Amino acid sequence: MTAPCPLVTRRRFVQGLGATVAVVAAGRYGISVWGRHPAAAAPAPPPGTWPAPNGRTLVVIEMGGGNDGLNMVVPHQSAAYHDLRGSLAVTDPIDLDGEAGLHPALPSLAARYRDGEVAVVEGVGYPEPDLSHFASLSTWWSGDPGAVGKTGWLGRWLDGAVGGGDPLAAIAIGPGPAPALAGDTAFAVTVQDATGLAPDVPPWVDDPAELVAAWAGMAAAPVDSPSLLGRVRDAVAATAAARDRLAGALGPARDVSPGRRGGLAASLDVAARLVLSPEVSPAVLYVHGFGDFDTHQGQAGRHAALLGELDEALASFFDAVATGGAADRVLVMTASEFGRRAASNGSGTDHGTAAAHLLVGAAVAGGRHGDPLNLRKLDRRGNPVHTVDFRSLYATVLDGWLGADAAAVLGGAHETLPLLQSG
Amino acid sequence: MAYSTRERTSHVLRRLGMGASAGLAASLAGPDDAIAAALDLTAPPAEPPDMEPPPDRESARNDRDVETAFRFWLGQMAGSPRLVEERLVWFWHDHFATSLRKVRAPYLMWQQHLTIRRHATGSFAELLHAIAVDPAMLLYLDGAANRRGAVNENFGREVMELFTLGRGSYSEDDVVAAARAFSGWVVNVPGRPRSLDRADPWAAVFVPFRHDGGSKNLLGVTGRLDAAGAVDVLLGHPATGEHVAAKLYRCLVGLPADEPTRKSLGAVFRRDYSTLALVEAIVADPAFTSDAAVRARVRTPLERAIGIAQGFAGHDGAGRALVRGLRAAGYVPWLPPNVAGFPEGERLLDPHRLIHGFDLAALADPRRLGGAGGAELFARLGVFDVDPATLDRLDRTGGPAVRLALAVNAPEYLVA
Repeated sequence: MTAPCPLVTRRRFVQGLGATVAVVAAGRYGISVWGRHPAAAAPAPPPGTWPAPNGRTLVVIEMGGGNDGLNMVVPHQSAAYHDLRGSLAVTDPIDLDGEAGLHPALPSLAARYRDGEVAVVEGVGYPEPDLSHFASLSTWWSGDPGAVGKTGWLGRWLDGAVGGGDPLAAIAIGPGPAPALAGDTAFAVTVQDATGLAPDVPPWVDDPAELVAAWAGMAAAPVDSPSLLGRVRDAVAATAAARDRLAGALGPARDVSPGRRGGLAASLDVAARLVLSPEVSPAVLYVHGFGDFDTHQGQAGRHAALLGELDEALASFFDAVATGGAADRVLVMTASEFGRRAASNGSGTDHGTAAAHLLVGAAVAGGRHGDPLNLRKLDRRGNPVHTVDFRSLYATVLDGWLGADAAAVLGGAHETLPLLQSG
Repeated sequence: MAYSTRERTSHVLRRLGMGASAGLAASLAGPDDAIAAALDLTAPPAEPPDMEPPPDRESARNDRDVETAFRFWLGQMAGSPRLVEERLVWFWHDHFATSLRKVRAPYLMWQQHLTIRRHATGSFAELLHAIAVDPAMLLYLDGAANRRGAVNENFGREVMELFTLGRGSYSEDDVVAAARAFSGWVVNVPGRPRSLDRADPWAAVFVPFRHDGGSKNLLGVTGRLDAAGAVDVLLGHPATGEHVAAKLYRCLVGLPADEPTRKSLGAVFRRDYSTLALVEAIVADPAFTSDAAVRARVRTPLERAIGIAQGFAGHDGAGRALVRGLRAAGYVPWLPPNVAGFPEGERLLDPHRLIHGFDLAALADPRRLGGAGGAELFARLGVFDVDPATLDRLDRTGGPAVRLALAVNAPEYLVA
């Protein structure tokens, strides 16, 4: 898998830079999406282990815009569901157990469910829900309802388990940094696609590697005070340092048809390569920028297309990791800021609250978990009341999959759910 | 750190305009001169190109219209003598972020652009009234699907959260009331069975039977509010002036406004919602030219590209290279990542965006470099106070072309 070329590149790069600079810089660097805790108020770093036990990887797939959980996991026997949804009700779900079914665009997930590798968690939300995308996203990212100016839940795990140690311990795959990975000291690389961190240099540049090495050298100048310029230099040095290792891990560029570029299939192709690479050992892959699930309008077709994309991409991903012998090392989990309003607005659904989520992988305890939403007892805005706190989902994977002290990461104890096979 | 007069002059042009404007900086005596030059709107505005309304939805989706628009707009960013106008056109596009990805028709994005351009330095009140029934916005935030009996809250929520009041000043009931007030507007897409002959193709049309004409209570104001009435309620709320003024302050000064500043700028703005008057109030604050403000922002990929174009471009492929570079950085005009607009600040320092900064170097024409050394390259980018170690590193590296690629990615150029 590893061509000789990246090795040469790396050697030249290290000579040009001085390895210590990169490591020190990486330690000081963090993308402060929400600003930082005052040092005094920062909680003690939670204990945790990294690499995760047995090289495990948690893959989070964020369904941006608010996924309609009710039409993904369909309570097809519920008269209330059909009343509320009218023509938007899914009439041909793939039945799971006579009570709930998956959207017909999810055939391979349904097959995987029958194999016991899908845990469906119904009713996931948080108290006093905020219907704003941005407020609700902040809540899901931080793991702390109503939080402003805080780190991400996985960023705090990184701070404790990894610190500034390895910028590739958690990797965001998507259009930009993932706020859920923002830590105080930890640093998570973002890749958009399988090119990793390779610049598309102008034709008049002969040697991109030399260019990047010289660039890192420019960033090595000492800074006298904690200025923005200093943080920019840190970012440059850390980027240059991460570049070569990623190039080795991702291997030679594969053709991705332009139509799929940026799509979930391409993101999960990157995820599979990173899971299988011996050069990196990412404990967390955070896939975001998937979809616009904000289906206020034209929902039937749009939602079906998005779920179809999820189904196909997950099937390819699990095929790839199974072929590489890593099926038991990956756990996929969905996230989304909220579900949709219980009632249809005619052609779509407005912002809602609680929704179903999925955990997929050989290690899950398959079946339906949580409690179905009560569609006869809506809040005054017409939304169902959550039955599972999303932090229970987080606590379950932190504790059961990443081997972390979930209470320390989440700032309090939350019930874990029996979503994973024991051991 | 105390900056040189040249660096502080450049700072003013970077903030009040869209690029580095190094050529202009060289002709100015200092920051005060630069402020006067940047706010000077006596030069006549450039005439935007004509764009024919497409005959139907399918033919509306074409790259030709995007090219026409971008050639004009990006050209204006790099070359217009009306600096503050281009800064504000971009600010309002970012503020009223609307994406071609959902709107689909570049023609409608162009109409919105012309609306923003018309009001950019003028009245925010008029701009907001226009945006509330702007066809591209009606499609982007689902206003066109918002009708009596099937209220769609998307625009009603975002107009308060993002465009006017900011969070914390309205309730969920206000969201519903606003959405009902805005109901009834559609876009007259030509070539469809329900297209109207009496209205212009692609125009916003008010359809009375789709409007919820009932009484609403919006932010304490009760009445049979329609779209214009709801906009007036939002403009009458003190949070609107403060929210928008503080955002523009942050954009121009590069630092957050403190509470007294926020309050006083909000009061200034609310008087008549003159955007130019607000800009003048912000630049009159000593903070604007203070050393703390210089280089306090991360230079956006767009600002980086415009600065390179101003300093070095001129070859035939520059326009294409510009858009390719911006695409790699996720910073293409008309393609904001979401309704909150383009990322800014330290979010722009992620490794992907940083490494693809080298893509932007393709904008430059190395034949125009001669044997320029590091200091000269930086000067052409409007950057003056450079660490001697950075310059030394640059001068010891490669040929002029590689030096250029490094200069436009140097930490000193990544801040603005």
